[in-house]
Amino acid sequence: MAIGRSVPVRDAEARVRGAVAYLADLRLPGMLTAKIVRSPFPHARIRHLDPRPALRIPGVVAILTAEDFNRPGAPRLFYGVDRKDQPVVARDRVRYVGEPVAAIAAETPEAAEEAAQAIEVEYEELPAVFDPLTAAKPEAPRVHEDCPGNVFLHTRLRHGDLEAGFAAADLIVEETYTTPPACHAALEPHGVIAQWADGRLTVWSATQAPFVVQETLAELFGLPREAVRVIVPPLGGGYGGKGYVRLEPLTAVLAWKVGGRPVRLILERSEEFVTLTRHAAWIRIRTGVRRDGTLTARQVEVYWGAGAYADITPRLLRSAGLVRVVGPYRIPAVHVDAYGVYTNLPPAGPFRGTMSFEGAWAYESHMDTIAHALGMDPLELRRRNLLRPGDRFCTGEVIEEAFFWECLEAAARHVGWDQPYEKGEGMRRRGRGLAVMMKSTLPRSRSECRLVLRADGVLELHTGTVEMGQGAHTALAQIAAAETEIPLERVQVIGPDTAQVPYDATTSASRATSMMGAAIREAAARLKEEMRRRAAPLLEVDPEELILQGAGVTLRGRPEVWIAWEEVLRRHGLEALEAHGVFETQGGLDPETGQGIASPHWHQGAGACEVEVDIETGKVRILRYCAAAYAGRVINPALATLQNEGNMVFGLGQALMEQIFFDQGQPLNANMSDYQIPSLRDLPEVLESVLLESPEGSIHGLGEMTLPPVAPAIANAIFDAVGVRIRDLPITPEKIWRALHGE
Amino acid sequence: MRPEVLHPSTLSDALAALAAYGEEARPLAGGTALVLLLHHRLIAPRVLICLEEVRELRGFQFAEEGIRIGAMVRLQELARFPQIRERLPALALACREVGNIRIRNQATLGGNLAEADYASDPPIALMALEAILEVHGPNGPREIPISEFFRGPYTTALEPGELITAVRTPFPPPGSRMTYLKFRTRSAEDRPCLGVAALVAFEDGICRELRIAVGAACETPQRRPEVERLAIGRPLTEVVIRAIAQGYADQIETLNDLRGSAAYRKRMIEVHVRRALEEVRDGHRSFSAGAGC
Ligand SMILES: Cc1cc2nc3c(=O)[nH]c(=O)nc-3n(C[C@H](O)[C@H](O)[C@H](O)COP(=O)(O)OP(=O)(O)OC[C@H]3O[C@@H](n4cnc5c(N)ncnc54)[C@H](O)[C@@H]3O)c2cc1C
Repeated sequence: MAIGRSVPVRDAEARVRGAVAYLADLRLPGMLTAKIVRSPFPHARIRHLDPRPALRIPGVVAILTAEDFNRPGAPRLFYGVDRKDQPVVARDRVRYVGEPVAAIAAETPEAAEEAAQAIEVEYEELPAVFDPLTAAKPEAPRVHEDCPGNVFLHTRLRHGDLEAGFAAADLIVEETYTTPPACHAALEPHGVIAQWADGRLTVWSATQAPFVVQETLAELFGLPREAVRVIVPPLGGGYGGKGYVRLEPLTAVLAWKVGGRPVRLILERSEEFVTLTRHAAWIRIRTGVRRDGTLTARQVEVYWGAGAYADITPRLLRSAGLVRVVGPYRIPAVHVDAYGVYTNLPPAGPFRGTMSFEGAWAYESHMDTIAHALGMDPLELRRRNLLRPGDRFCTGEVIEEAFFWECLEAAARHVGWDQPYEKGEGMRRRGRGLAVMMKSTLPRSRSECRLVLRADGVLELHTGTVEMGQGAHTALAQIAAAETEIPLERVQVIGPDTAQVPYDATTSASRATSMMGAAIREAAARLKEEMRRRAAPLLEVDPEELILQGAGVTLRGRPEVWIAWEEVLRRHGLEALEAHGVFETQGGLDPETGQGIASPHWHQGAGACEVEVDIETGKVRILRYCAAAYAGRVINPALATLQNEGNMVFGLGQALMEQIFFDQGQPLNANMSDYQIPSLRDLPEVLESVLLESPEGSIHGLGEMTLPPVAPAIANAIFDAVGVRIRDLPITPEKIWRALHGE
Repeated sequence: MRPEVLHPSTLSDALAALAAYGEEARPLAGGTALVLLLHHRLIAPRVLICLEEVRELRGFQFAEEGIRIGAMVRLQELARFPQIRERLPALALACREVGNIRIRNQATLGGNLAEADYASDPPIALMALEAILEVHGPNGPREIPISEFFRGPYTTALEPGELITAVRTPFPPPGSRMTYLKFRTRSAEDRPCLGVAALVAFEDGICRELRIAVGAACETPQRRPEVERLAIGRPLTEVVIRAIAQGYADQIETLNDLRGSAAYRKRMIEVHVRRALEEVRDGHRSFSAGAGC
């Protein structure tokens, strides 16, 4: 069986040896280098922009400015997956430090660089606003003229009688938690190559969402979709930062201005910090609870700082931004108000654990505050309230597959939760903490694939799923092999290339293995059906009498009769046999009440840890961590474990050190020395991973499940160790030290 | 414009090249700092003078009174070299704590000193060891005590056209003990928020010599001899240790950066000077112990 086996990632060796051709390795004849001229101000009017001095520099081929969009036949200036509020290059106003105001195409990077210096731009600074709470005040400076108060969207979830819920409580706890902007810090930066030929556009992009890019570009240029082709080379990490549309519009329009030569844009590391960040979130959470630990009501108010452009935030706010901040609990009354707020910072968007990370930071830290106030064991408080199969979530959905308790209990067991425990008395104190989370996947989306069985016995899987080092192509090949019974070595994965593979929404939200996997299963069923239909006349029987086995066809009750699939194709004179598979999910929430279907299934993960805090310095060491996720069915145990461990390491960085610092909108640490991510030496001494399966379970994604619990589990352990509650991420030694020493 | 790279094999050729190109040339040692500066276009030299093959800058020399370390010796070599670990453990510890193995394998002692980044480890240990820098330039050789070398963040006493050729470190008085503590506030590969080097020599339980250097929390690595003197002629009791720790915290002007505020750093100086003194009072830190943080 190809499923359940730890086969190595298909391109693992090539990646390690440096033989994988990333976008930066592609060389096209006549290729030009692109360079972006960026705003130095967080908010300013562009008084004057003159590209002419730069045009005189030898090697400069074209310079794109907002002027170009006035030409007849020009593409549209504005784009955006929801609100079309973002210009390809700024027209008369810049709204964040780093916003593109012009783009250069040149023969060499040096010429492009020189041109970038030579372009004259005169700005007139405008008042700016940076944090979402201040920005949402009516008197705040406006980031967009047409959006007073800067709140571009307010969504609501209304479930049960909130007042009655709070009235029934013995205790009401209210707290505020915040998370700062952070950088995805994928090893590979963003990169795009765009080329026009005969009115058709080809784009090579390090993107997680080739079909969204295709659609956006087609719309921008007023072309049919087929006129835009998007090819995705293997990515060096994404984490959401390469989701939706990033630099493709700018590169494609620059290439349009150039004419026929390909134009390549690859960001420098510093530019990564002003391209897309995690939301700056401010979360107020208020919960009513009975003395016995029963939750009676919860009210959550979230300000999502979206930066200067709405990007994907509105779409997130209609579901994820509501349901991912509540927690996997049975609560009779829940109200959520989510605000999408413009600020003069770079746009925010998807970020591994999108909005669940921020949500769990608040609700899981909060659960421990409640447990402490009640004098109850934090695990016990959760046990009493966690959603069980058949319970109703605050969206009105009945949760069928619910393993929250099992995940949490497994994680707790691994750190010896029920055993006696020494916290220590000296400079170093120990504590334990745990957390659990629930995350929706995309409510309405579609994945398609094509299986092509060739006469030489190779099975091609055509898929839009992006391989970014997570091993998706390996897992999908395993599913295709298992469903068709063709040996794994004979499965070839092709794509993503919009000209070659059928539609897929995106590789994000931990949906690829689960959704594309389901599409593959359907395609495999069709392929087998087709095979039966073709084989029947050859064996002179009815299709119903045939059994498909080991990539061949045999007769019911007569195993000696067997022909290989290739043979069937050959006898029919067929070069290949094709089958198409589609998997689609439905759903969505009512915009006024947040009731409906938020997710086809729920991601579930937990974590428990033991930490040591140096009370003289505030420094924290994670001694032991266990990450437990509900996997449904595990396709590849080794890769699944790596996802769990990766989540832990990623979460550790978010919990303890990662933050982009902005001073009046200027990023202060836009490089990898000043923006620190965890190193291997930061890992806990013991790191364990648990993957829960269930015989009837569907395949669940694993890319994010155990990430959101990391920060609150650590914060809860710190509280347990030294009695200090940190509510603003990241948890730096200095914050702990200040809390301990009353400064 | 890519700079041209020269590969002199003798010190005199290197100095001649430096003299010939003047401001337009930069010596290139391990390149770990220089290449970042080039990449970020903070400098644009026309010529790089690679010091890799310059014979005079290589290797160690041992003498009765101390060790002479060539400017091109890698930090990882210093961290591993048995005699350094044995005789100058504070230096070995400080080098071992630098960045990560990739950086240590490439970065040189001369480059580390010449870069003069305030958040560096080796200079702090060298301050406590009273190292002397050997420098060659257009006017011949000269010596600079390390206490006079750092003039501020990224500024040193080097004159144009001068190269650090070696670092001479006298052996400490017999029976001395020393340590280096690095305090990081972010990743385990971060530069220091604070570094403390301590050296103590006892005679019959009485402190004959005490040296404490503090760095990374301030613009240059520093010692406070008037505070060190509080220990001389006394046993290193808890009271003395605390007074010294307090003295260092009070007297060093700390700085603010993303690794910590000035106020926090003052308190961390107090904690780490105390911890370093407790450690040297109780004996050398063993080498197999974990990272010093
Ligand atoms: C990721 C990272 C982490 C780091 N972490 C730490 C840390 O934790 N602690 C720490 O102390 N340091 C740290 N560093 C800094 C590192 O130690 C220095 O970059 C290194 O020591 C410089 O040595 P180099 O040989 O690479 O010098 P180069 O980069 O080659 O040169 C540095 C400068 O010195 C000049 N120079 C070099 N040699 C000489 C000479 N002999 N005479 C005169 N001038 C000379 C060069 O012209 C240049 O200006 C880190 C660096 C990086 C990149």
